[in-house]
Amino acid sequence: MIIRFRQKIENGFGRFAHLIYRNHWKVLFLVLILVAGFASQLPKLTMDTSTEGFLHPDDPAMIAYDSFRNQFGRDGVLVVAVTAPDVFDLSFLTKLKQLHEELRTNVPYLDDITSLINARNTRGEESTLVVEDLLEHWPEDAHALAAVKQRAMNNPFYQNLLLSEDGTTTVIVIKTDVYSSIGIDKEEVMDGFDDEAFESDATEGQRKFITDEENNELVIATHQIAERFNGLDFKVRIGGGPEVMYMLKQTMQTNMKRFIRLALATIAIALFIMFQRISGVILPLLVVILSLLSTLSVMAMAGIAFKLPTQILPSFLMAVGVGASVHVLAIFFSHLQKGSSKEESIAYAMSHSGLAIVMTSLTTAAGLASFAGAEVAPISDLGILASSGVLLSLLFTIVLLPALLSVIPLKAKSGDNAEKRHLRMDKIVIGIANFSTSRHKLILAVSGIIVVIGLLGVAQVRFSHEPYKWMPESMSVRQAGDFLDQKMGGASMVEVVVDTGKENGLYEPHIIKGLEHLKYEIEQINDGPLTIGKTLSVADIIKETNRALNENQDAFYTVPENRDLIAQEFLLFENSGSDDLEDFVDSQFSKARFTIKMPWTDSIYLDKLSVDLKKRFHQQLGNDVEITVTGINALLGRTMAATIFSMTQSYLIAVIVITIMMIILLGGLRIGLISMIPNLTPIILTVGVMGWLNLPMDLFTILIGSIAIGLAVDDTIHFMHNFRRYHLETGDVADAVRRTLLTSGRAMLVTSIVLCIGFFIYMFSILTNLFNFGLLTGFAIAMALLADFFLAPALMMQFYKQGKPAVEE
Amino acid sequence: MKYMLPLFLILMITVLPLHAADLTARQIMERVDDRDDGDNGVSDMVMTLIDKNKNKRARKIRSYTKDKGEDKQRIMFFVMPADVKDTGFLTYDYDEYSKDDDQWLYLPALGKSKRIASSDKSGSFMGSDFNYSDMTSKNLDAYDFRILDEKEVRKEKVWVIEAIPKAKEEIEETGYTKSVLFVRQDNYMVVRGVHWVNEGGRIKYMDSPKIELIDGIWVATKRTMTTKKNKKILHKTELNFYNVKFNQPLEQEVFSLRRLEKGL
Repeated sequence: MIIRFRQKIENGFGRFAHLIYRNHWKVLFLVLILVAGFASQLPKLTMDTSTEGFLHPDDPAMIAYDSFRNQFGRDGVLVVAVTAPDVFDLSFLTKLKQLHEELRTNVPYLDDITSLINARNTRGEESTLVVEDLLEHWPEDAHALAAVKQRAMNNPFYQNLLLSEDGTTTVIVIKTDVYSSIGIDKEEVMDGFDDEAFESDATEGQRKFITDEENNELVIATHQIAERFNGLDFKVRIGGGPEVMYMLKQTMQTNMKRFIRLALATIAIALFIMFQRISGVILPLLVVILSLLSTLSVMAMAGIAFKLPTQILPSFLMAVGVGASVHVLAIFFSHLQKGSSKEESIAYAMSHSGLAIVMTSLTTAAGLASFAGAEVAPISDLGILASSGVLLSLLFTIVLLPALLSVIPLKAKSGDNAEKRHLRMDKIVIGIANFSTSRHKLILAVSGIIVVIGLLGVAQVRFSHEPYKWMPESMSVRQAGDFLDQKMGGASMVEVVVDTGKENGLYEPHIIKGLEHLKYEIEQINDGPLTIGKTLSVADIIKETNRALNENQDAFYTVPENRDLIAQEFLLFENSGSDDLEDFVDSQFSKARFTIKMPWTDSIYLDKLSVDLKKRFHQQLGNDVEITVTGINALLGRTMAATIFSMTQSYLIAVIVITIMMIILLGGLRIGLISMIPNLTPIILTVGVMGWLNLPMDLFTILIGSIAIGLAVDDTIHFMHNFRRYHLETGDVADAVRRTLLTSGRAMLVTSIVLCIGFFIYMFSILTNLFNFGLLTGFAIAMALLADFFLAPALMMQFYKQGKPAVEE
Repeated sequence: MKYMLPLFLILMITVLPLHAADLTARQIMERVDDRDDGDNGVSDMVMTLIDKNKNKRARKIRSYTKDKGEDKQRIMFFVMPADVKDTGFLTYDYDEYSKDDDQWLYLPALGKSKRIASSDKSGSFMGSDFNYSDMTSKNLDAYDFRILDEKEVRKEKVWVIEAIPKAKEEIEETGYTKSVLFVRQDNYMVVRGVHWVNEGGRIKYMDSPKIELIDGIWVATKRTMTTKKNKKILHKTELNFYNVKFNQPLEQEVFSLRRLEKGL
C-alpha cells in the first residue's frame, strides 16, 4: 500500500513538473512577485550583537541586570592604559592631563572619566581633613611630585584600578552613558523647568539602553584620540568591555562577510567543475540566495533581530539549498545526457527526487523547530528561522528550479569528454557500492570501533565560552587585554548587589564590616583559571574616610563600630565626593554594589562563581539581605549554562522527532530506527573530534549541530528512499545499493564535495571560532557522506540478510 | 530757594539713571551681588533629596548667619535624622576671591572637629544637587555677562542673563561651563537658573517657587535644584526654609569652633 502511495506521489511530482514546464513564464512571474514581496520587508531588519540579546527580556537574569544598570549605570568601562618608564614624571603627567582632557571633551556618550588627574584623594593632615583630586595642585617641584607619588602608590584604592603595582602603568577609566541618546532632542531651556518630566518618566516606561552604534562611535573616538598620544615613552593601550565588544563585532562581521563570499565563490567553482555548465552554478546559487533573502525577510517581518548566533543562518541555508538543487540537477543533467528531452528530464528529475527532497526538508525543518523551545533567545530564533528557511528553500527548489530549467536553453553535452567523465564517476560509485555490500561485516565492525572512539571523544568535550580568545593574539585588542589582565588585575567585571531592604540599611556596622571581610576573602580567590584582580565597595570609602578623620593613621583604616559614626562619615563623604558614592550605593543607602574585577575568564567558570559568591555573601551578611550577582559577564555565565542545558534538550528532542519522521517516511519501525545510525554517526564523530582535539564547545560551535543534522539526515533520506524503491523492484540488496548510488549517490557526492570545500575555506580565517566552524562542519559533511556510502549499505546488507527481505507495510 | 533748581537737577541726574531698562548685564549682576540678603539670620531648613525613582530622604538643619564686614559666617547643625543629629558645619565665606573659604565640621560620633580643606566649590553640598558655588557669591570679573532676553517667571518680569566663565579655572572651580540666570527686575533676586555641568552632559535647573519678604529682606523660602540628563531627571533637591528671622541677637561667639563642638 505504501508502495503505491509513494508511487502516486512520485507521479504527482512528475505531473507537477510538466505543469510548470508548460506554464513556465507564469510561474516565473509569480515567483518574482513573491520574492519582491519578501524583499520589500528587508529594510526593517535590525541587528543586535549585544550579549544581552542572548537572553529573553523576561528572563530573571536579564531583569536583574536591567535593574542593576538603571541603578548604577553601565557596568563595563572603557579602559585607556598608558605605560611609561615612570608615571610620576612631570612631563608624563602633563601629557596624561592633556589626554584626560581630550577624552573628556571629545568622546561622545561619556558619563564619567577618572584618572590620576582627578582621582579622589581623601587624607588627614593633622587636624585638617583634605578632600581633593590627587593632582588638584599641580606639583611644582620634585618635592611636591614625590609627595604625590607617595600618596598614590600607597593608596589601596588606586592600586590595580588606576595604577599598576610597579607604578609604570596608569589607567584612565571611562564610564559611558547607560541610556541611549537616540531620539532625544536638545532641551529647551525654559522647558527644563517643567516638572511634568518627573511624571512622564513613570509613564514612559523603560528607557532604551545604549546601542551598538553609540558604543561603536565612542570606541572609535577613543581610538582616534589615543593614537595621537601614543608614543615611545607614552604607550597607550585600550581595553575593557566596550572595546572587546566592539572589536569582536567588527572582526566577526568582516570575517563572516568575507567568508560567506569566499564560500559562495568556491562553491560556484566546485559546482562548475562538477557540472561543467554555467547553469549548474547559477541555478543552485540562485535557490540559495533567494531562500536566504526570504528568510531574512521573515526575520524582518517577525521583528526578530539579527544576532550573533543567527550569523550561522546563511551558511546553513547554503548547505541545505545546494543539497536539494544539486540533487534535482544531477538527475536532470544525467537524463538529458542520455538523450531525453528537456521536459522529460525535468519531469523525471522531479518525480525521482521530489518526494525525497520534500522529506529531507520536512525532517530538517522538524528537527530544527525543536530549537524553538530554547531558553536562549537567539537559539530559539534560529530554530524558527532555520526551519522556515528550509521550507522556503524547498519551495524555490521544486517550483523555481523546474521553471528556470524550462526557460534556459540546455542541451546534452556533446563530445567524448562528457561521456568519459560520466563513466568515470559511475565507475567510482559502483566500486564503492560493491565494496560496501561485499565487505559489509568488516565495515560494520570498523564503524563500531570508530563510533566507540568517537564516543570516548564525546566524553572529553569541554564546554567553554571565551569569545575574547576567538581573536588571535596578534590583534591589538588581545595584546591590550592580556596586558591589562597581567598588569592591572584584568578589565572584566562581575557585580554583586547587596540589598538590605531598608533605608539606611548600610549604616549597620556589621554590613560594612561584612563587605570589608568579603573583600579580603574574595581577593584571595586564585583557583586555576579563576583569579580575582581587585574588589571595590563602599567599605573602601568608609575606611578611607575614617583614616583621614584620624590624622591619616593606618590603624584607623578600619570600619567603625558605631552606627552613628558610619552615618556621619557617609554624610561627610556626601558633602565632598558624592559623585563617587553614587557608584557604590543607592540614594536610600539600602543597596550596596560590590564590584569584582578580574581578567578575561571563560564564561563556564562564571556561573559557578556566581553561585559561590552568593553563598559567601550570605555567610558574611546573613540571610536578611538579598544578594544578586549580575553584570554582563555573570550574564554570559548564566547564558552559557542555560544554553548548554537547552541545547542538549533541543538536540534530544530533535533526535526523537527525526526518528519518528524517519519511521513514518520509510514506512517501518525497524528500518526507521536503523536509519538513525547513519544519521547520528556523523554527529557523534564530529563531537568526538572536538573532544579529541580539545576544541571548545561554545555558543558558536554548538550550532554546528544544526547544520550537521540537516545534512546527515538529507543524505540518509536520499539513500534510504531510493534504496527502498530499487530494493522493492528486485529484492537484491547489492543491486539496489548500486542503483541508488548511481543516481542519488552521484548527487550526494557532488553536494558533499562542493559543500566541504565551501566550509573548509573558513579555516583561512584568523578567528579561531570560524576556523573551528569550518573544520568541524566540513568534517561533519564528509562523515555524513561516508556514513551513507559505506555504513548505510552495510547496514542494509545486514538487515535484509537476517530473515525476510520482505517489506514491512 | 536758590538751591532748589540745582538740587532738583542733581536729584534728577542721580535718580534717573536708575531706570531699569538702561542697565548692562554686568551692572545687573553687580546689583544681584550687592543685594541685601539679611544679617544675623536664623532659619530652619528642611532639605529633601529625591532620586530618579522618586525615593525621598529628608534632613532638618538649623542655620545661623552673620556678616563680618564683607565676609559671611555661617554655622549649621543637623537636627534630623537622629543618626546625624548635632553634626555641625562652620563656614567663613571670604569676600576676597583669591582666599579660599574656611570650613570646619564636627561629627558627634567622632567627638572632634576637623577643618576641611577643599579648594574647589564644584563638590556637592550635603549630597544635594546644590554645590558650594551655588551657595556662595561669584567673582563677577571671571565672567562675561550678556542679557539674552526679558521674560516673566510667575508673573514677575525678569532679565535672562547668560554668564560664561572667561577662564578654565573658573569652570574647574564651579563645575559649570555656562549658566543662564533669570533675575527679577524689581528686587534683583536670581529666581531661576540653568547651569551646564562640566562633565557627563548634565544640566541643572534652579528654581525658587516661593519668595517672601521677611523683615524687609527678600528670601526664597522654597528653592529647588534639579539635575537632568537627556531630559531625564537624575536627582532633585528641595530646600524649604521655616522660621526665617533676621537681626537676631547673635554673638560672634556663636561662630566658633567651641560652639560647633557643643552641637545644638
